[in-house]
This record gives sequence, C-alpha cells and structure tokens, in this order.
Amino acid sequence: MREWTEILLRSGGLFFLALFLIRVMGRRQPSRMSPFTFVNYIVIAMISALISIKIIRDLALGLIALGVWVFLSIALDYLALKSKWVHDLINGKATILMKDGKVMEENLLQVRYTGEELLRDLRSKNVFNMADVEFAVMETTGDINVFLKSEKKPVTPHDLGKQVSPQPEPQTVILDGNILNEPLSNLGLNRDWLKVQLDNLGVSQDNVFIGQVDGSGELYVDLYDDAIQVPQPKVKELLYANLEKCQVDLTSFALDTKNGEAKYIYLNNAQKLKQVTKKLEPYLLR
Amino acid sequence: MTVASKVKQTIATLQGIKSTLEIYAAQCQDEEAASAYQEGSRVVSETASDLEKRLKTLEFEEPEYRGL
Repeated sequence: MREWTEILLRSGGLFFLALFLIRVMGRRQPSRMSPFTFVNYIVIAMISALISIKIIRDLALGLIALGVWVFLSIALDYLALKSKWVHDLINGKATILMKDGKVMEENLLQVRYTGEELLRDLRSKNVFNMADVEFAVMETTGDINVFLKSEKKPVTPHDLGKQVSPQPEPQTVILDGNILNEPLSNLGLNRDWLKVQLDNLGVSQDNVFIGQVDGSGELYVDLYDDAIQVPQPKVKELLYANLEKCQVDLTSFALDTKNGEAKYIYLNNAQKLKQVTKKLEPYLLR
Repeated sequence: MTVASKVKQTIATLQGIKSTLEIYAAQCQDEEAASAYQEGSRVVSETASDLEKRLKTLEFEEPEYRGL
C-alpha cells in the first residue's frame, strides 16, 4: 500500500475513534479537570496522533496502548463513583487556604501557592479586601472558592425578611420565528394562546427572533426589526397599582358618606383589600 | 362626577382586577401562588358585590343620575 493512503486511512479511522472514546470518557470541561485527568487526556491525544502519522508503525500495538489508557481512565472514574477512598486518591482533597479569616500558610505551601496568586484568585472572585473573607478553599481542580463573612455577603430577600414568589425557569417558546411545542406544553399552554399573545402585542410570528414565557405566563419577545417598540409586560405592576387605587377610592368614599352603615361597609372592604394587596405583593411585584 | 358614577368606576376596576387574577390563578404553575391569586380574586369580587349593593341604594336615592 502506498504510504499516503495508509496515513489517510489511519488518520480518518483514528479521528472517529478518538471522537467516540472521548465521548465515552465523559463530558468534563478541560478547565474543570484535575491535573491527572488532564495528563490522561493528553496521553490519549498523543498516542492517537502518533499512530495517525505512523510514528508508531504497528497499528495493533498503538491501539493496545490507547485502549489501556482509555479503559483505566473509565475504570478509575467508575471506582471513584463507588468508593470515596479511591475518589480522594485520584482527585485529591480540597485544601483549605483561609479559615476564620486567617491564611493557612502551611496549606498554601502544600499546594505551592504564593500569596500573590491567592490575592489574584480572590480578586477574580471579586474579593479585593482580605478582611471580607471568612473561608477560602482550593478545589481539586485548582479553582478557588470563597465564603464571605456574613456581613459582607450579598443581601438576599431572606435577609430583608421579604417574601418572594417562587419563579420557575422561563421557557423559550419561539426561536428564529418558529414556535417550539415542547416548552409550550411544559407550561400548559398551546399555540393558540401564543398567537393571541402575539396579536395583543401587534407583532407577527415571523418577526420574532426569540420569545420567552416566564414562570407567571408573561411573554417577552425580541424582534428582528429593532425599530419596532414592543410593550414590555407590565400587567402585574398595573394590577398592583389598580388594587391600591381601589383601596384608596373606598377609603375616600367612606370619608364622603354621611351614612353610618355605608361608611362601615366601605372601611371594612378597604381593610380587606389592603390585606389582600399585601398578600399578593410578593407575587405581583417580585 | 357624582358619587354613584365614581362607585361604578371602582366596581369596573375591581372586576377587571378580579378577572386578571383569575387568569393568573389558572395559568400559574405554583400551587401556593395559585391559591394566593384565588384568594385575591375572591376578596376582590366580594368587595365588588358589596359596592354593587351600595350602588343600588345610591341610585335609589339619586334616581336622576341612574345609568350614568
């Protein structure tokens, strides 16, 4: 066989073999790999390359080597799933770099990490002030994760004592002007509903690049034609404002009337509306 | 604007709120939110019916403004 045809066949075959093997080995991101997995992938890549350009002459020998590296990697991953001991052996353990706001110098030395690098990685986590850090840990992948002191943590609705409504994830229902049926049915809606909503907005389906429905059933659309201004969903805010207006109206009726019984009815209803407005606030405004 | 027509306006707004709340209650996936919407629409419709009763009295007292 001529040299070039052989290389062509080897390369073509290995291309698909490598594709398949890497798929079988899992879908970890290169940046999230532990150092050993990284080495593993590189060895597999190099063996494939060497077979492909015939530096390893014997195809069978090359494939054996490739097979061993792939098989051991899969086997180790499987064992690591089953046993924590193996997992720690392969991946190592996370190293605590800072505790109670103090840098653990000996741990830093253990992972060969300088103070400069620690500061750099803290900054990349948006922590510029060391005094804000309660706890920092280096994961087995080399990433740094930071736990801030409680007074420096971002405020959550829980901290503020505010009630918020649960928000299911939004579903994309239109892409490139095509209606996607599955996300629509996930929300319990159908094409007719979507058509009515689009008519209300006054846009045609072909003009919609992306359409998303949020958890409460409001449709947000982005159009191809950016000159058209689409009214953004404000129904809930409007509803809330209307509730408040009605409550104020009732109070003013109560003030206007001289009839004692009517005054009582107005005030009572104003009170009820006030309660219900308060109850609906987390759902309508947040 | 007479009191009766103001009351009518408020009733109309309340009914609008009620129907929107009902739509939300039907549409919403979360049970807790749905029950809050339902509760809201119930209270709002109670208020609207109270106001309607009051409106009848008002129209009886001021028949010249009826139908406005």
